[in-house]
Amino acid sequence: MEGLVATGLIGISLGAQYALLALGFTLIFGILGVVNFAHGGFYVLGGYIAYATTTHLGAPYPVAVVIAALGTAGLGYVFERFLLERLVDDHLATLMLTLGLYLMMSSGILVVFGPESPSFEFPITGVLRGGGFYFPLQNLIVLAVCIVAIVTLYWLVYHTDFGRALRALADDRAVAAAQGLRPKLLFPLAFALATGLAGLTGALVTPILSLAPHIGDPVLATSFLIVILGGLGSVGGATVAAFIVGLIEAYSAVYLGGSKGALALFTLVLLMLVIRPSGLFGREARGA
Amino acid sequence: MNPYRSTLFQRIGFGETLTVALIALTFLVPAFATNPIVFSVTNQVLVASTAAFSVYIMLRMNLLTFAVPTFMALGGYTVAIFGLRFGVTDVVLLAALAFVVPALFALPLGALVLRLRGVYFVLVTFVLTEITQLVLFETPGLSGGSNGLVGIPIVTFFGIPLADNRAVLEVTIGLALVAALVTAALTVRFRQHFAAIEENELLAQSLGLVVWHYKALGFVVAAGVSGLAGFALVNMLLMAHPSSFNPLSSVNYIAYAIIGGKGSMLGPVVGATVLVFASDLFAIKGEYSQFLFGFLLVTVVLVARDGIVGTIRRWICRSARTSSEDRKAAVPLAVASEGRS
Repeated sequence: MEGLVATGLIGISLGAQYALLALGFTLIFGILGVVNFAHGGFYVLGGYIAYATTTHLGAPYPVAVVIAALGTAGLGYVFERFLLERLVDDHLATLMLTLGLYLMMSSGILVVFGPESPSFEFPITGVLRGGGFYFPLQNLIVLAVCIVAIVTLYWLVYHTDFGRALRALADDRAVAAAQGLRPKLLFPLAFALATGLAGLTGALVTPILSLAPHIGDPVLATSFLIVILGGLGSVGGATVAAFIVGLIEAYSAVYLGGSKGALALFTLVLLMLVIRPSGLFGREARGA
Repeated sequence: MNPYRSTLFQRIGFGETLTVALIALTFLVPAFATNPIVFSVTNQVLVASTAAFSVYIMLRMNLLTFAVPTFMALGGYTVAIFGLRFGVTDVVLLAALAFVVPALFALPLGALVLRLRGVYFVLVTFVLTEITQLVLFETPGLSGGSNGLVGIPIVTFFGIPLADNRAVLEVTIGLALVAALVTAALTVRFRQHFAAIEENELLAQSLGLVVWHYKALGFVVAAGVSGLAGFALVNMLLMAHPSSFNPLSSVNYIAYAIIGGKGSMLGPVVGATVLVFASDLFAIKGEYSQFLFGFLLVTVVLVARDGIVGTIRRWICRSARTSSEDRKAAVPLAVASEGRS
């Protein structure tokens, strides 16, 4: 029983991390119609920026996390504004661009930081004990920050003018533009918001898991999984799907072992794409 | 000259003829070269070109596929399993198996995934490559799991063992040549059909084209061509291992086709040649070549949409047009030499 609860807690904290990643990914697809293959790259970059600012500049960890989020958001802004924006309506071209950016980012990190994974530790250690189960303190902090970030994002998207403008552009760009909303101003901001979330997740999670130049690949695959499961472009769907995937991963790692859980998930997602491309909950955000 | 009568050469197309001729010419490498590095690079270029043909076929229908490693794995593991379990070593039989097994597998799969278009097709093929990896790791009884399959018997050609470097390269060339012929035959025979689907699928369908026939055909043949590449790779490495078919290797095959130029069959070959040579220049620091791939992808998408081959062709056409205007020639050279329009 304690094992079940403890595993569930791990699953929930995994789910919260995945939700942050997937929300950024799904925002970009929902609003711009772009599949961001560089999403995993921004996660890795966030981790490395946080690592560099703490070890080389001696900044405290929370400051480093903020710098990582801002840095990745800035790069995302520049990339969208100057490259992606020119071809934003061509799905395959934008896919190629983000793929190219991802290759450049991950080999750039490799050149600067080397292939070995640096020692990047979470500043707070310790375990929370209670009622016969253990929960690492660092996971709890990450979980709290993730939940705050998710709530803030929801508030931003559903209760501010910025969010309303983004949702209007996602709904019908032509009409929204005719009403006076400026895609050229808002798209880079939306992209920056999403990449900033990826960078934030990277800065928070890599000290617990691991930091290496190529960890972006599985992150990209997981983001794909969640976003497809939740429905491409759907914010609510991605959040729920992230927790489902987190829990399935945690339980299958403990009770099944190996990669059977992942295999089941991927097969589920494949069937989902074929039978119901709009995802578990969503309506189709963009035509297939 | 009657503009409505085209010669056989024009009908087959310049790019296709040149591609097949170039691949056939690489038979000169094992005949004359002795340097093992030359052998290795030629091998890599040909496997890369074969895999990129598969991407090229799907791009005819405006579908970007990530599934190349999946079908390569199917072809490669089929060869390994038939060699190890059943002692099949005849290269012709193995090549047929490496083509047919992935193609048969692609048929029901195509019925499911070809209904998707654009981004959704990209995602589903990407998910397929991930599933392939997991299946390979989870079926140690059949695929050897994380150890892969080693000790594959040497392939034979009518009883002659093809063991040394030279013979292995000849097998790769043979497979690449078959793949090029199949790709050329398919894309030339159904050029208009594929072009109609690429241009506007809905319109093509409403004009009476049974779109899914051609999409399924393209998908199945692309799977078979990938299977041949998988055979060549396994034969070159003498083992079948999951890492040879990792999901992100599909990015390389896409890069070869796009950077080389997706408008002509010459594109995948030029792209594979240039990029394999370039990554060999980086020698030990092979990972850094990914930066070049990324940079070239971005550049091609932003400034040279038709890739290397398309850009060069435009230059040639432009200079040809200027010179023909000087001579006031009636037939534009661009049309005569291309036979495409």
